[in-house]
Amino acid sequence: MADINFEAPEYYTNRELSWLDFNYRILGEARDKENKLFERLKFLSITASNLDEFYMVRVASLKDMVHAGYKKTDISGMTPQEQLTAINRRVHEFVGLQYSTYNRSLVPMLLQSGLNIISSFKDMNKEQEKFADAYFENEVYPVLTPMAVDSSRPFPLIRNKTLNIAALMKRKNSDGDELEFATVQVPSVLPRFVKLPDNDGKTCLILLEQIIQKNIDKLFLNYDVICSYPYRIMRNADFSIEEEESADLMKEIKKQLKKRQWGEVIRLETEEKIDKRLLKILKKELHIKEEDIFKINGPLDLTFLMKMYGIDGFSKYKDKKYIPQPVPGMNSEEDIFTQISKGDILLHHPYVTFDPVVDFIKQASRDENVLAIKQTLYRVSGNSPIIASLAEAAENGKQVTVLVELKARFDEENNIIWAQKLEKAGCHVIYGLLGLKTHSKITLVVRREEDGIKRYVHLGTGNYNDATAKLYTDMGMFTCNRAIGEDATAVFNMISGYSEPPSWNKLSLAPYWLRDKFLHLIRREIKYAKEGKEAFIVAKMNSLCDRKIIAALYEASAAGVKIDLIVRGICCLRTGIPGVSENITVRSIVGMFLEHSRIFYFHNNGNEEVYMGSADWMPRNLNKRVEILFPVMDEKLKEEVIHILDIQLADNVKAQVMDNEGKYSRLDRRGRKKVCAQEYFCNEAQQRAKEEEKIRNDRIFTPMENSESV
Amino acid sequence: MAITTFAAIDVGSYELQMKIYEISQKNKIVMIDHLRHVIELGKDTYKDGKVSFENIDELCGVLKKFTCTMEEYKVKSYVAYATSAIREAENADIILDRIRVSTGLEVKILSNSEQRFLCYKALAAQEDEFDEYIKDSTAIVDVGAGSIQISLFDKGALVTTQNIKLGSLRIRELLYNISNSRQHFDRLIEELVNNDIQTFKRMFLKDKTIKNIIAIGEYVVYFARKGVDNHLKTFMDRKQFMERFDSLNSKSPEQISDKLGITGEQASLLIPCAFVYKRFIQETDTQNIWIPGVDLCDGIVAEYAMMTKKLAFRHDFQEDIVGTARIIAKRYKANLEHTAILENNVINIFDAMKKYHGLGKRERLLLQISAILHDCGKYISMSSPAECSYNIIMSTEIIGLSHKEREMVANIVKYNTMDLPENRDDGMYLTVVKLVAMLRVANAMDRSHRQKFKDFKTKFSDGKLILTTTTSEDITLEKGLFESKTELFEEIYGIKPVLRQARMLK
Repeated sequence: MADINFEAPEYYTNRELSWLDFNYRILGEARDKENKLFERLKFLSITASNLDEFYMVRVASLKDMVHAGYKKTDISGMTPQEQLTAINRRVHEFVGLQYSTYNRSLVPMLLQSGLNIISSFKDMNKEQEKFADAYFENEVYPVLTPMAVDSSRPFPLIRNKTLNIAALMKRKNSDGDELEFATVQVPSVLPRFVKLPDNDGKTCLILLEQIIQKNIDKLFLNYDVICSYPYRIMRNADFSIEEEESADLMKEIKKQLKKRQWGEVIRLETEEKIDKRLLKILKKELHIKEEDIFKINGPLDLTFLMKMYGIDGFSKYKDKKYIPQPVPGMNSEEDIFTQISKGDILLHHPYVTFDPVVDFIKQASRDENVLAIKQTLYRVSGNSPIIASLAEAAENGKQVTVLVELKARFDEENNIIWAQKLEKAGCHVIYGLLGLKTHSKITLVVRREEDGIKRYVHLGTGNYNDATAKLYTDMGMFTCNRAIGEDATAVFNMISGYSEPPSWNKLSLAPYWLRDKFLHLIRREIKYAKEGKEAFIVAKMNSLCDRKIIAALYEASAAGVKIDLIVRGICCLRTGIPGVSENITVRSIVGMFLEHSRIFYFHNNGNEEVYMGSADWMPRNLNKRVEILFPVMDEKLKEEVIHILDIQLADNVKAQVMDNEGKYSRLDRRGRKKVCAQEYFCNEAQQRAKEEEKIRNDRIFTPMENSESV
Repeated sequence: MAITTFAAIDVGSYELQMKIYEISQKNKIVMIDHLRHVIELGKDTYKDGKVSFENIDELCGVLKKFTCTMEEYKVKSYVAYATSAIREAENADIILDRIRVSTGLEVKILSNSEQRFLCYKALAAQEDEFDEYIKDSTAIVDVGAGSIQISLFDKGALVTTQNIKLGSLRIRELLYNISNSRQHFDRLIEELVNNDIQTFKRMFLKDKTIKNIIAIGEYVVYFARKGVDNHLKTFMDRKQFMERFDSLNSKSPEQISDKLGITGEQASLLIPCAFVYKRFIQETDTQNIWIPGVDLCDGIVAEYAMMTKKLAFRHDFQEDIVGTARIIAKRYKANLEHTAILENNVINIFDAMKKYHGLGKRERLLLQISAILHDCGKYISMSSPAECSYNIIMSTEIIGLSHKEREMVANIVKYNTMDLPENRDDGMYLTVVKLVAMLRVANAMDRSHRQKFKDFKTKFSDGKLILTTTTSEDITLEKGLFESKTELFEEIYGIKPVLRQARMLK
């Protein structure tokens, strides 16, 4: 036993391949006939946008490593080149499955349901053609910039992620058969699909590139267009090295900076039937390798399906929109501070509404006893009511400190705008911490009361974003517990540049203390298991790929600790390895809401401990981010959180379980009651809200007006 | 409930900190916020003699941020003290002025003895443990960045206090450059520390043993840390201390910082600090160690609460100051009987003259201490005792007195017998003169050193202060020489002291 090396690469799965598995699971939802048709479109769209991001961030980063000659192996023992090769193979398969789903199931079913996506402009009827041509003349033509390539005009810069049309042309009235190349970007300012006049009582749509292709002659009047095909590229550009890479890699890359090929094309998507001559030109001009070309049978860039979900009608093919319910035990009569003072309050979004969080800040901004509001903001919705309240608080003379994380991926610009707005209002804005991303979600309200200063804290697993709070499952907690209040103050002092406090009461923070805290909690279970006592861990998170934590989990499993993991995305841990991970189960839930909460439950020899937080078990969360883990101490809330975990573990509809090969599959439901966790929580929240309402109504006195009944 | 929100600021040698407190009858003193910023002012001062401009800028910047936090909590009163790094800096005045101009904060420089005394107040605010501990022979050992302070308590009272200029930062700065390995470093610290501790033992401890140590100071708190979990272990016995010391000393500062979750800087200062404690414990046979984790800020607030009468503490600090003065007098073989009577007489006069001198409790204490120490100089020279007393007082720490107060005591003693100099505009001249006048009168009352005025009554009559004794002894000597010693008194108060002997019926 003692000589097992729990960190041996063969016990681990490569994180990129595990991520691809996750995307496969989403694709599975797009293929699942039990899902409503338009929901399936949404899932397919998500797989496409996920894949784009994966390329821009992960594949780009691996390419950098290869260019820098970096050979260090990952957690599973693969070199960057080996990873790229494996990814490439898997992605080709994946794209194949995406489009067979699109072509073979979704498009025919859409047609049945009354929506015709006309795949080629050649399939339009006369009326539709007329409409399309007019649309082209009036809307499209003015914003097109066709670009021909010849000896005097070099190959133009094709912008990252844009959809383009390449054409082969022949000069009119020329004798030779010399062909010229031209390209035109499909304008991103226009909607990707155009609604055509109905046909046969069916709603008809066509993609913008088809309309352009139909009219491409009008762009090159002196030429005959031989053929035209859409294409799309992904570049390794504009992105600095991913934060989670190790320091020695950064050094290596800095050294090799010159070798880094900025703007290198790392993926080319074209239509399957593309003309060979055209492809050859693209390949040469874009310097792309054969394996990085994806020939696609269908429309490029499936993200338009998300927009298509929004077209009017078809409501019977969409899930009914769920309305977040009021929080049990909370009311709108009392001020929120009084309510928190009665006991900690648990919020499980999106099943219950995010409004209390918004109200918390709003009320604090107007309450005359509030001295200060402090908050960390990571990704905030546009027009966020929280931002408005913070600004108002500053105008009302409260001390407002806001940490705005500018490093939040792809959100930089958006964040800067409202951060400046806050600063103008008089808030103290901190634009992130050097070398660290602030990922923690914490709000502190300092209030002066009869007995002195009292602190109210909201801690959460998700961002302060009222829009995503309707789509992501997250946990939040209000508390005025003194120990947590003190810690919260210390967190903001640290964020403001002061030294760490001499000690922490209840909160555990990354990057300095959190991994050790988790390791300590895991080892405590190991200790109990070795003493022959019951020992188990249930943990839910988005990703699991921290080597030290996984090794500790293996050690725990080997010692007899039962471990049930609910990991939505990447999971480098493998189950069922003899002597290593036989006591571990891993399941992933992919549903209509994005699973996002992080919950950690340790048996602790009967003195159960439940924690929630902002951190996944990933190196980047534990090393390079400010994260907070907080305990759920109130017994009733603890029970509620354990109940939430229990239901997730019982899910046999949306859950997929990892087998000993590392493959995920759905559970055999024969003879078992169907449990879909997300649905269960929706119903439960509605039920609880109804009961509350009933109790409230019951409090109305019933006057007995008939004297005989007295 | 009346709550006072108060801020205490400590401009330390290694760290700047501010604590915000709420003071109320119900909850006593509760800390509600604590801000710390590492800035090694001491490093500048101990090496170059002054604080660098960069650090002054940073200092002002952080203090400015402190004022924002004070505003946040609507703090009404604050006290800000600077300690040795600024005290010893050549450019101290400039620094304080820069702070005043850029932040509006008044920072006062604390003398070493005041600083230590504040820490005792913080300790004493933890009344139950403190009273229990100082019942036995106990040393408070405070290893700071710049110096070590050792104070001995016996049977509940302070006996002596000594300052050794050998703090963690100073040790590290001294040895950092000359040591070439870890073992070597250890040996050097040991040698350096041993010398001072043995001297202390020889001079002040003699054959006494120390049962308990109360360890205070900036770094020893980290020693109490068990690990990143941060449970502060505040009580340990000798064995636990030694085990802990060995386990830490076998690690590099990096490992220590990992293990305890502190910065490498803090870890590198913890080692010299722990060494000092270890040597002291070994040398004195200490059995118990208490690490209460109090600091200067806690002392500042305790003092503030006492001064403003918001709270009262059991421990009598005045008695500590007087007690230390008595021990100094004893060390210099003062005539204890004469001193006791003088002390008694001068206090009686002071109290009787209250209406006329308009001085307060603090001045009364200074007068009392002056009386106690008034002839300690005779130990050195019979011919110029005044000068010698002055010098002894100026170079002896009296815990609880500021440097300025000590200077006043030294002057009162000196001019008890010497002619007063011309008026000096130093803010204390008048007080000194008023007190000297009373001391001279009281001293003249026991000219023979035979305690003839052991019991006397005071009475004002006709512009005279009549001092009546019931003694049956002959007071001719006192009476005869009295006039020459009362001139100053008359000059200042316009009252003529007169000695009378009440006729007793035999």
